[in-house]
Amino acid sequence: MSTSSRPGARRGIASDAATFVDAPSRGPIALLRQGISDLTTRLYLIRYLVSAELKRTHADTAAGTLWWILDPILQMGVYWVLVAVIFQRTTPDILLFLFVGILPWKWFATTLAETSTCITSRQGLIRQLQFPKLVLPAAATAAGTVSFAFGFVALALLYLLYPHRLSYWILALPVIAAVQFVFTLALGIMLAALNTFFRDVQNVLRHATRLWMYLSPVLYSLDQLEGQDTAKKVLGLNPMAWILSAYRNALYGAEKVNGHGIMPDWLPLFGVLGISVLLLGAAIILFKRAEPSFARILA
Amino acid sequence: MSGEATAHRAAIDVRGLGIRYNLNLTKRTTLKGSLGTFLRRKHDAPTHFWALHDVSFRVEQGESLGVIGPNGAGKSTLLLALAGILEPSEGRVQVGGRISTLLTLGAGFEPELTGRENIDLVGAFLGVPRKDMEELAPAIIEFAELGAFIDAPVKTYSLGMKSRLGFSIATAVQPDILLLDEVLGTGDQVFRVRSQQRIRELMKSARAIVLVTHDLTYIAEFCNRAILLEQGKIVFEGGPEETVAVYQERVLHQKLLAASDAQRFGGDAPKR
Repeated sequence: MSTSSRPGARRGIASDAATFVDAPSRGPIALLRQGISDLTTRLYLIRYLVSAELKRTHADTAAGTLWWILDPILQMGVYWVLVAVIFQRTTPDILLFLFVGILPWKWFATTLAETSTCITSRQGLIRQLQFPKLVLPAAATAAGTVSFAFGFVALALLYLLYPHRLSYWILALPVIAAVQFVFTLALGIMLAALNTFFRDVQNVLRHATRLWMYLSPVLYSLDQLEGQDTAKKVLGLNPMAWILSAYRNALYGAEKVNGHGIMPDWLPLFGVLGISVLLLGAAIILFKRAEPSFARILA
Repeated sequence: MSGEATAHRAAIDVRGLGIRYNLNLTKRTTLKGSLGTFLRRKHDAPTHFWALHDVSFRVEQGESLGVIGPNGAGKSTLLLALAGILEPSEGRVQVGGRISTLLTLGAGFEPELTGRENIDLVGAFLGVPRKDMEELAPAIIEFAELGAFIDAPVKTYSLGMKSRLGFSIATAVQPDILLLDEVLGTGDQVFRVRSQQRIRELMKSARAIVLVTHDLTYIAEFCNRAILLEQGKIVFEGGPEETVAVYQERVLHQKLLAASDAQRFGGDAPKR
């Protein structure tokens, strides 16, 4: 084995004033580069963690893996009661309309909940093994993506009900999902680091994501907000609003065009992608900066 | 690292190591709690705790160092620092070679995965290349004596089976430096004998070992040097028998002190 000295060993005395982190004296670019290599060199570790995570979820239920498909369908049913039965909204092909909003939102919300606790819930591991912690939020996000993908079986079933809604724009799906993936990963990495210092984060998050859902076009679409210009402007600041609209365009089409999917708004979508990439960079730097303190805080 | 002026490199070189815990963050993990202590900081209890302070020692290749001391002396914290899990708050830790920790056996196991899959998983956590791990797997499985259980999920294992698997993984990765924390008493009598044999083999192949234990007989048996830690500081360093004797003397002394205190302040001495 080659000899090596850990980078941490070279660092000098940390100032007593530092309460948040005894920060390593490395610059943000070095941290970013290190974070990226943490992920690229440990892809196989991420894969093992994902498969463990997938085996754990629903492992003890009678329906087992069927829950991957049942879950979003049941959720769609619940919101159908709310929107169509109680509020009497008359949207054509409403089940599909709701489903294409609920499925990606569920991916977003559950992944954030999982990633925010991925460090704090593995106290034992972090106190006992030395490994790049960044793999944990990455694995949690990747596992969420797999369960999201299972939702497309349910989507295929819905297209049996509404075949006229299916169009070639469904091919845009991987692009839209990729944008959402980057955005979710960035937020998840940040939340994972922050929650280690303040467990309040996981409590606030539950309510924040619920509110965020109502402020996003999940159960309604942006066209339905006609005349409400202020609301539309506010929603324009919400990256998830653009992502969800893109899904709805590609998978459902417009409400008034009684036919099939239409082209997503590419420009704002790529804007969201740009912001997400910057956010991801910032998240990795924040995480790498906080990483050395994790083991100490989780004592 | 290369081109150091010293004639040879120590396996472990610790200089002026200090590990400080921030009590605000470890105890108050909610925002309100932190704000509370932040506001009250000036006239409050100390906010920091030095688990280790000004600790320096070297472990040469082939040496085996025992670490003893009372509970809370900083023994386990020292191992965490050597393993790179805790960053030094001051001073430095230099380690030459691949480290394997046996801090708590079975760390990193995923209960839903099989024993075989967990071997790969732990290897991935330790950064061992997959190909190397595949080559090591048969020997690990054989040493752990799990039989057909190796393909059953780890959640079905007994505690002894888990620690057997953990021990054989940690020792199979051919570490240059082995850190052990109270693990020699693992498993049944038969496995204990075999694990001690393996430790001896590792020691022979010129590896360095740091062993933390409360069982003082292990120190005499396995170590050629020992340090005594008290309240985060090294109070004695020497041969294993010598260090154990000093420790026992200090414990006895403290017991006598406590007993005489009890007599002086506690009123009646306990009567037989």
